[in-house]
Amino acid sequence: MTTTTTQPLLRFEDLGKIYPTPTGPYCVLEKINLEVMQGEFVCVIGHSGCGKSTLLNMVSGFSTPSSGQVLLNGAPVVKPGPDRMVVFQGYALLPWMTAYENVHLAIDSVKPKLPEREKREIAMEHLRLVGLEKASEKLITQLSGGMKQRVAIARALAIRPEVLILDEPFGALDAITKEELQVELLQIWNTQKCTVLMITHDIDEALFLADRLVMMTNGPSASIGEVMTIDFPRPRNREDIMEDPKYYELRNTALDFLYNRFAHDDVE
Amino acid sequence: MTTLVDVQNIEKDFPLAGGGNYLALKGIDLEIRQGEFISLIGHSGCGKSTLLNMIAGLDLPTDGVVLLDGESIKRPGPDRMVVFQNYSLLPWLTVRQNVALAVDEVMPDLGRAERDAIIDEHLEMVGLGQAGAKLPAQLSGGMRQRVSIARALSIKPKLLLLDEPFGALDALTRGNLQEKLMQICNEHELTAVMVTHDVDEAVLLSDRIVMLTNGPGSKIGGILEVDIPRPRQRLTVVHHPSYYSLRSEIIYFLNRQKRVKQWQAKTHKVLARHGLEKVNLDLGILPLAACAPLAVAEAKGFFSKHGLDEVHLVRETSWRGVVDGLLDQTLDAAMMPSGMPTWMTAGGHGGDPLPIVTALTLSRNGNEVTLAKRLADQGVTTVEAYRSWLGSHEREPHRIGIVHPASMHNLLLRYWLAANGIDPDKDVHLQTLPPAQMLADLKDGSIDGYCIGEPWNYRAATTGHGVPIVGDLEIWPGHPGKVLGAREDWALAYPNTHIALTKALLEACRYCADPAHWSEMSELLSDRRYLGIKADLIRFSGQPGETGPFAPHGEPHHLFFGAGLNRPSRTEHLWILTQMARWAEIPFPRNYVEILERVCSVSVFSTAARELGLEDVSYQRQGIELFDGRAFNPDDPIGYLNDVKVHRDFSVAEIPLGLPRPLSV
Amino acid sequence: MVPTPQRRPGKSSSPLGWLLRQRGNWLPPVLGIGGFLVLWQVLFNLGILKLPGPISLFTEERTRSLILDPFFDNGGLDKGLFWQTLASLGRVAQGYLLAAAIGISVGITVGLKQSINRAFDPLFQFLRMVAPLAWVPIALVVFQQNQPAAIFVIFITAVWPILINTAEGVRQIPQDYRNVALVLQMSSRRFFTKVLIPSALPYIFTGLRISIGLAWLAIIAAEIVMPGTVGIGFFIWDAYQQNYVGEIVLGVIWIGAIGLILDRLMLWIQKRMSSGQ
Repeated sequence: MTTTTTQPLLRFEDLGKIYPTPTGPYCVLEKINLEVMQGEFVCVIGHSGCGKSTLLNMVSGFSTPSSGQVLLNGAPVVKPGPDRMVVFQGYALLPWMTAYENVHLAIDSVKPKLPEREKREIAMEHLRLVGLEKASEKLITQLSGGMKQRVAIARALAIRPEVLILDEPFGALDAITKEELQVELLQIWNTQKCTVLMITHDIDEALFLADRLVMMTNGPSASIGEVMTIDFPRPRNREDIMEDPKYYELRNTALDFLYNRFAHDDVE
Repeated sequence: MTTLVDVQNIEKDFPLAGGGNYLALKGIDLEIRQGEFISLIGHSGCGKSTLLNMIAGLDLPTDGVVLLDGESIKRPGPDRMVVFQNYSLLPWLTVRQNVALAVDEVMPDLGRAERDAIIDEHLEMVGLGQAGAKLPAQLSGGMRQRVSIARALSIKPKLLLLDEPFGALDALTRGNLQEKLMQICNEHELTAVMVTHDVDEAVLLSDRIVMLTNGPGSKIGGILEVDIPRPRQRLTVVHHPSYYSLRSEIIYFLNRQKRVKQWQAKTHKVLARHGLEKVNLDLGILPLAACAPLAVAEAKGFFSKHGLDEVHLVRETSWRGVVDGLLDQTLDAAMMPSGMPTWMTAGGHGGDPLPIVTALTLSRNGNEVTLAKRLADQGVTTVEAYRSWLGSHEREPHRIGIVHPASMHNLLLRYWLAANGIDPDKDVHLQTLPPAQMLADLKDGSIDGYCIGEPWNYRAATTGHGVPIVGDLEIWPGHPGKVLGAREDWALAYPNTHIALTKALLEACRYCADPAHWSEMSELLSDRRYLGIKADLIRFSGQPGETGPFAPHGEPHHLFFGAGLNRPSRTEHLWILTQMARWAEIPFPRNYVEILERVCSVSVFSTAARELGLEDVSYQRQGIELFDGRAFNPDDPIGYLNDVKVHRDFSVAEIPLGLPRPLSV
Repeated sequence: MVPTPQRRPGKSSSPLGWLLRQRGNWLPPVLGIGGFLVLWQVLFNLGILKLPGPISLFTEERTRSLILDPFFDNGGLDKGLFWQTLASLGRVAQGYLLAAAIGISVGITVGLKQSINRAFDPLFQFLRMVAPLAWVPIALVVFQQNQPAAIFVIFITAVWPILINTAEGVRQIPQDYRNVALVLQMSSRRFFTKVLIPSALPYIFTGLRISIGLAWLAIIAAEIVMPGTVGIGFFIWDAYQQNYVGEIVLGVIWIGAIGLILDRLMLWIQKRMSSGQ
């Protein structure tokens, strides 16, 4: 289980976001209240349009809340910073650089005063962590989707963020690569003891990875519908989870939430 | 139902860039019936899309034919419309024009008004009646795929082909579209073939799921019938016991493909040492209390004591894993239900008969029947009460979970039900389910009960979801539970290893039989490598003074060792063969004497026992008599079969086994 | 989904108000061009640049009359700039249309048939590299007359981008679209009109746009070496021979302006044609 301190690392207080539109204000999110403890792995799930990305943008500091606030270690988040690193579905790597250079660039930008030797060590250590030490000199364009996402994760972790934010990181990968990366992510999370906030569309992914699953209601004015605690023992493996009768209960609860209580029609 | 598409012995190879050919598919036979929904599932590169393309006519087989309505498919045509993963809508045409393009092309004889009506009808069908004037770029991915489906259906194809239709959509949008497609298929009685890698999608939509093995030379690795009634609804199907059992079977299949690939990537040497032909063994186990002898042999060093230096226990999640492991020789030997050696030898697994030998009975007893709490709450706590309850609740489905058709759970449960006036096939439905799911289903109310080994009955009792109703001590005390099984050719190739293995496990059995070791064993088995559950849920006997089916006669529940307990008994295996034939799991083998001779490795057991100085355990047990007092005459099994009141239409057949021959090493 | 904020209708509807709000669009180019002209004039006044400044185009009598009346026609080669330009444009139109017709049809054939592509691609790439000016003597030898020779030079310069882009566009038709046509068993005529042309259209237009510029460049080159023809190219050459520097500058400005207009025209047509995509 995760180590919990009394003070939450990340805290959403009555968080809301309203966008002005020609037809009047449009409320995306409303009254989001959530506490994420140090070292916790939290997944957020919801249909498209539920404001997951808006939520993530406010945590990372790319956009400011219309009401309420996001607190990191008790201090409100006002702008992006290296203490909250985001991994995007589209990787967001610089394609003309090698894997190593991408990671190095991040370290260089965040800790410019570090001696070069240390920067190099940190970069290589994190590439090793994601199993890419041999491919470190390869250009991003030479890497597969799964390897690119590994580089992105290494880059994010290399700057030692307090919160690792993942925006559907495995959505674009095939089933096998996805499963491999999920396993690796768990191992990394376990050794690095970082706090993870991850957005997903995949119930099974959330069940395998998360300590808690935050289920969002549909927009407009989306909010947290239910928070499900997933207390399978760790370290986890997929087969053990499927042997646990609780797996079926949790899965059915999530399905019921998403397809029954908060069903969503994708036709606009 | 008539056959619409007949895929006959298809083979497909592609020329490789560097010369040579890549064999994508080999020996594919598949009949698709009118009105059926078929899914093709497998890992990427297994040739599932290639197969679909050949049905579509976009690609031609290298060998074999695909017939549609009896005619060979040579090129694509509008009677087999394809829905592609990336929608393939023409971006310069509006939604309506895209559909019109197909309708105008295929139905030029109809009047404009008629064609317009068809277009409108199909846009309406997919819920896009309002979006006709929009361009594809203005639509979300899910909506675009709806247009693509409308276009495909508007020309009334005989067959709808879907190539990972929802692969590009996020998991939740996918769900909506799946339901829509399912509803349309139902209403219009479409015949469809879909390529997918999404397990839930396959189970939800299909009548049959075709699982393809990994390439090169992909074959059909199995076809699953989805027996969930239609119309289906996502939230109700997950409560059908077949749902998760099919799901785990597909996941198992896909994982197995992955594992085999990894296994093949490594080199596998036979290490011979200490006068043994092979000391590096992979042994299959299942997370059940009865795996104790293997766990103990590993933990207490009995394997290495007998020279087996490198024994690795492979934790399988289902008995199917054991069967497959023996079939493809990724396992050397395994613990298995006592019915499995004769079942596989008789070809019960569906392939060619594979002679399996057993030299050791690892455990006896350990099974119980548990009924759901909701039944107990209505006073159903005895078999008589259950029988009358069944009578008054005829309309509901009554399912009882079992783990494997060749396990004693199945055979004892059937025997017990039949003897108590409940037909195990007509009055109830016995369903093979993964153990973890049984408990969830029991709680869920989708099964009435189950028959299984520990710790699952005790778990149901302690969590309050079920009530044990009868234990095997009351049905057949001392029945064989789990046995050690290996391929006959393996046993012949490594005879001394086989004896050493038997010795190690027999010693472990003796260790397990001592009640003083039980708490230690519970601790050991609670490790993730074995059961991975809390130690206090793992018990080998009822507590002193406890009533109920755990220990009605004060006998220990699990028997691991003792006079006549471990020696393979031909009579017992004959009883098992007879019961499996009674329920038509296998035909009754005319050459049953040969089968029993080859299955029961009595000589290996005797050598092992003698070398351990345990000759006294070799004593032969007496005849078999179950709770109903009916004697089993081993000299006339066919007479017995004809004589029992409840049985299926069984057949008698010669099982061709060939001559025993060792593996070529 | 987050709604995309829609552009609101303007609060005041007066043209001046609209112009003011749109200043972001027109102000930078006006400032840019104006600044350039001022710099030019200043450099001329300081004597750094020998070329007459923009003001001199109005102060000098010869050029002022050319600017003020582009429509005069005194017979022979003494015509207003409008007529000069029109004559050039006429030649361009003939050569360019020919290039478009042949370029598109050959391009489609080449794009559809890999074997034809392999056979002719080296030749196309080779011919494409020959400068327009180099074609002039050849054209004169072959056609013996100025007019057809000029049209040929236009054609041979303009055809390559059209041909090569069309072929590429046809090759780039997504396999998906081809599959749809295959499954529907579309006739080749319908495939051509419903799939091939719309799909390749953006590529074809890219080719057409590049070519119109090249054709316009080529006409100047052609006319300069074809004495005695009415046309903007020869107009400049003639002015150079007679050392009317102001006329040269004026001619160059006309050429640039016409080129710009042609390019914008093609862009506009392209946008209209592909408004669906």
